[in-house]
Amino acid sequence: MNIIPLFVALPLAVAFIIPMLSRKFKWFPDIAGNITTLILAGMSFSVIGKTGIYSMGAWEAPIGIVMVLDGLSVLLLIAVNVIAFASTLFSVNYMDRYTSKLRYYSLFLLMVAGMNGVVLSGDLFNLYVFLEIASVASYALVGFGCEHEEIEASFKYLVLGTVASAFILLGIGITYGSIGSLNMAQVSEQISLSGMNNALLFAVALFIMGFGLKAALVPFHAWLPDAHPSAPAPISSMLSGVLIKALGIYTLARILFNVIGVTDTILNILMVLGAVSMVIGVLLALGQWDFKRLLAYHSISQVGYIILGIGLGTPLGILGGLFHLINHSVFKSLLFLNAGAIEYSTGTRQLDELGGMKEKMPVTGGTSLVASMSIAGIPPFNGFWSKLIIIAACIQAGRPVFAALAVFASILTLASFLKVQKYAFFDKLKDKWKDIEEVPVLMRLSMVLLALLCIVMCVLLLPLLNTGLFDNIDILGPAVDALMKGTAYAVRVLG
Amino acid sequence: MSLIIYSITLSILAGLMCLLVPRKIKGVAETLSVIVSLITFVITVKLFNVEIISGLFLLDKLSRFIILGIGLFGFLIALYSLKYMSGRNNLRDYYAYLMITIGASIGAVLSNHFILLLVFWGVLGLTLYMLINIGGPDASAAAKKAFVIIGGSDVIMILGLAIIWGMGRSYLVIENGIRISMNSGMAILAFICLAIAAFAKAGAMPLHTWIPDCAEKAPVPVTAFLPASLDKLVGIYFLGRISMNMFEMNKAMGNMLLIIGAITIVAAVMMALVQHDFKKLLGYHAISQVGYMILGIGTGNPIGIAGGLFHMLNNVIYKSCLFLGCGAVEKKTKTTDLDKLGGLARFMPVTFVTFVIAALAISGVPPFNGFVSKWMIYQGIIELGKDGSKMWLVWMVAAMFGSALTLASFMKLIHAVFLGQREEKEKPKEVSFIMWLPMVVLAALCVIFGVAAFQVPLKNFILPAVPGVTGDSFTGLFSPGLVTLMLLLGIILGLIIYLLSNLKGIREDSTPYIGGEILPEESRVTGVDFYRTVQDFGIFKRIYGLAEKKMFDIYEVGKIVLFYIIDILKHMHSGLLSSYVSWVIAGVLILLVVLMKGSM
Repeated sequence: MNIIPLFVALPLAVAFIIPMLSRKFKWFPDIAGNITTLILAGMSFSVIGKTGIYSMGAWEAPIGIVMVLDGLSVLLLIAVNVIAFASTLFSVNYMDRYTSKLRYYSLFLLMVAGMNGVVLSGDLFNLYVFLEIASVASYALVGFGCEHEEIEASFKYLVLGTVASAFILLGIGITYGSIGSLNMAQVSEQISLSGMNNALLFAVALFIMGFGLKAALVPFHAWLPDAHPSAPAPISSMLSGVLIKALGIYTLARILFNVIGVTDTILNILMVLGAVSMVIGVLLALGQWDFKRLLAYHSISQVGYIILGIGLGTPLGILGGLFHLINHSVFKSLLFLNAGAIEYSTGTRQLDELGGMKEKMPVTGGTSLVASMSIAGIPPFNGFWSKLIIIAACIQAGRPVFAALAVFASILTLASFLKVQKYAFFDKLKDKWKDIEEVPVLMRLSMVLLALLCIVMCVLLLPLLNTGLFDNIDILGPAVDALMKGTAYAVRVLG
Repeated sequence: MSLIIYSITLSILAGLMCLLVPRKIKGVAETLSVIVSLITFVITVKLFNVEIISGLFLLDKLSRFIILGIGLFGFLIALYSLKYMSGRNNLRDYYAYLMITIGASIGAVLSNHFILLLVFWGVLGLTLYMLINIGGPDASAAAKKAFVIIGGSDVIMILGLAIIWGMGRSYLVIENGIRISMNSGMAILAFICLAIAAFAKAGAMPLHTWIPDCAEKAPVPVTAFLPASLDKLVGIYFLGRISMNMFEMNKAMGNMLLIIGAITIVAAVMMALVQHDFKKLLGYHAISQVGYMILGIGTGNPIGIAGGLFHMLNNVIYKSCLFLGCGAVEKKTKTTDLDKLGGLARFMPVTFVTFVIAALAISGVPPFNGFVSKWMIYQGIIELGKDGSKMWLVWMVAAMFGSALTLASFMKLIHAVFLGQREEKEKPKEVSFIMWLPMVVLAALCVIFGVAAFQVPLKNFILPAVPGVTGDSFTGLFSPGLVTLMLLLGIILGLIIYLLSNLKGIREDSTPYIGGEILPEESRVTGVDFYRTVQDFGIFKRIYGLAEKKMFDIYEVGKIVLFYIIDILKHMHSGLLSSYVSWVIAGVLILLVVLMKGSM
């Protein structure tokens, strides 16, 4: 039996089973949600190193709709499903104070199904449908608290997200109009045969904008600083950790590299967008006092790094970008969970109201230190390695200015996270926090899991050094291959 | 080879084990640290006669004595901490980070591979941050500032190494004697990037500002171990390494180093003159001394470089001794405010004597070690003048001026702490054996490295590391043996006079003579007001005023500039949906134009 469709079918099915059974069994949403994401995480590890094509209803491509599993999809599947499991684990206690757990888990699993669908889809329109499933679920989840601020953020996100979706749909329509097919492999084949035309260029602009908005690249980023902090913490960690990557970065990379085929102009656009996001994001982050808002701006900045790396177009650059993608999903999710844990215990996330949390919440303090050092690029944590590769790749590609900007942004990132550490964790404990306690065990477990990942993830680089170590977990190599081979994607899918 | 790996990993593993020991079990971390640091010291001694240059590690005549120093200081600090740190509640973390620091420093010095170097170098920043934070909530701001500067310079170092790698050289620090000639902009940029990393670590201007804050807030052994000794060893080692083995120095870069060195010496010592806090004063001297090392390396001639490296070694010895003495005073009196101290010489004789020896050494008074290395640096500068440099007199004046002011500021310090009068009536006792032993060892080293400079340190450590220095290039001008003899004679003479004239009574009743008036209680002469006139003097007044406002602090100035930009950006993010949508539309239009242009 082919495992590929299960990545979508399983969460989709459970999302609808949960509301049916939860009226009788109060504990059902927690159990079902966690088991589903655990199974999905296990499944995503089982497809490491594999490729495959699943044709729906046994109709072969290009007539039927296909799902394609390759190195890049595997990388994203692992990121999405592992973070989803950590988030559901965290949700068990955290979501107790919200009223409706069954709706929460249903929407959560719908979002996961959408993201898994996006990274597996081999068809432009199907990609759009999955993208909308994930987006709509996320609009609802951002507003889940139903407070004034959350609804407002959700509304802004909805409007801007819909603009992006409309542009993407328009782009897909234009592509269909000029190629006559929606199958990504066939579109790619046609474009490499007949070349680009103005209509397709328009579609490319629409794609970069649409997916760029989902990825929160400057100047399409304005929704993110409102939306990500407003959501419940595990959702923020999903949104910043994986949603912007599956819906934004993956789709950009897949369509530009494998379907349209990159040109120097497109690569330059990506690099400039990446560098601008990197710098502006971190500058705005430095000025924030709301813990989650600060993290949200850092997401913009870190996405900039990823896009800069991928935009270099060299194997080393893409490796750095993709490695940073998976690293960022781990440490940023962890940071949002830390922020959630602090909010859970103290009820605030204003850094200047906190202080001395290190004594009262040692697990949160320790894990947040690991995550902060990771995002700031301090060795031996994972963020160091990907930043190192990105900076070296910029130099190798003859772009020292981008390397210098990456260095500059990295220093500011460090400064901003040291601010977080100082105000929230190391400063004097205020009297009003005398009686707070560390969060429940499941939340701690979830944070420790991600912190351990931050420490051990550098082993992912070992298979690339031909040392013979850990070769069975070669996740990055095939993912870089998938992008470097460009429009040879068509040959692989169509055979 | 395996010894090298042990020297690095043993202490790191010990540190990680300390972190895993449950907090309730006391004593494990302390014992483990002292034992492992002793073993590491023994290993570094054994490595002294080994020479290995491989793809990963680099143990040559330069790195061998640096790791010896790290091993020795690691052990002494662990020993000193047993008593000084006892009673604090986060001891486990303290010893863990201390041990990791020892291992990572040895690793950083021994790595020949860029990535290995970057990892160890970066870990040092992290452990420094954690160690300063041991000082409690008050130290958190100092820790943040230190790590922003150190961590920031680490990333700049990545850039520098990446540029070298991108220029086609391999990823090895030493590669068959191939040196990069500084004839392209990229090569110069790479050198500056790497020098910035070394400057930040060693604490040269303008990246020095973390040291005074750190000295004031962090626990004394941390300051004695990191900014005062280990970071100097590692930072100056790296500066020496890049300017001797990686790059072919040219005039312009040499002059850059000389300017930075000279400014660092004078500016930092001027700041030291007016400090009121024992630890902060020592912190400024820790910066000032770096200037000499950079000056020495900047001369570019063998004798100057050898002097710079020797001064680094000497500085580590006397500066640790000074900080440990400061820690002993703090332990017994619970304060480091110079206003409140005084008259301690009677109660803490061992601390007093070791402190005076170290103070004379730092001021460059013969026959102590500081004099010999300064002398060599002067020789290097004169050599520079012989080669036709017109500026040599400027460097010379800066170095000598700095030396004189150092002596002046230590006179103030010794008066304020050990002589003068005591305000409080209670009588502190001398610190315990475990605490004074490291100080005595260091003070003895100050004397040995001074009196027997050629026989012990120069012959074994410095001269083999710097090719091209001949023994007679400086010996003719100075004979430490003779000077020592004359000084000893002077001291004996002084002692005889002292004993003969029965000054004991006067010493007991040391009320200052102020013309027969009775000294009011509040107008105690503390030493704090020494040199106050300097502060009020014309142009100095303005400069000190600006310094007080932190206008020379790259960290504070950077903050002001950045927040100006950030405010503009924040203002643009008004929360209005319509403006956000218009950015999106504008973005699409620009993309379209760029894409159309690109396809034409």
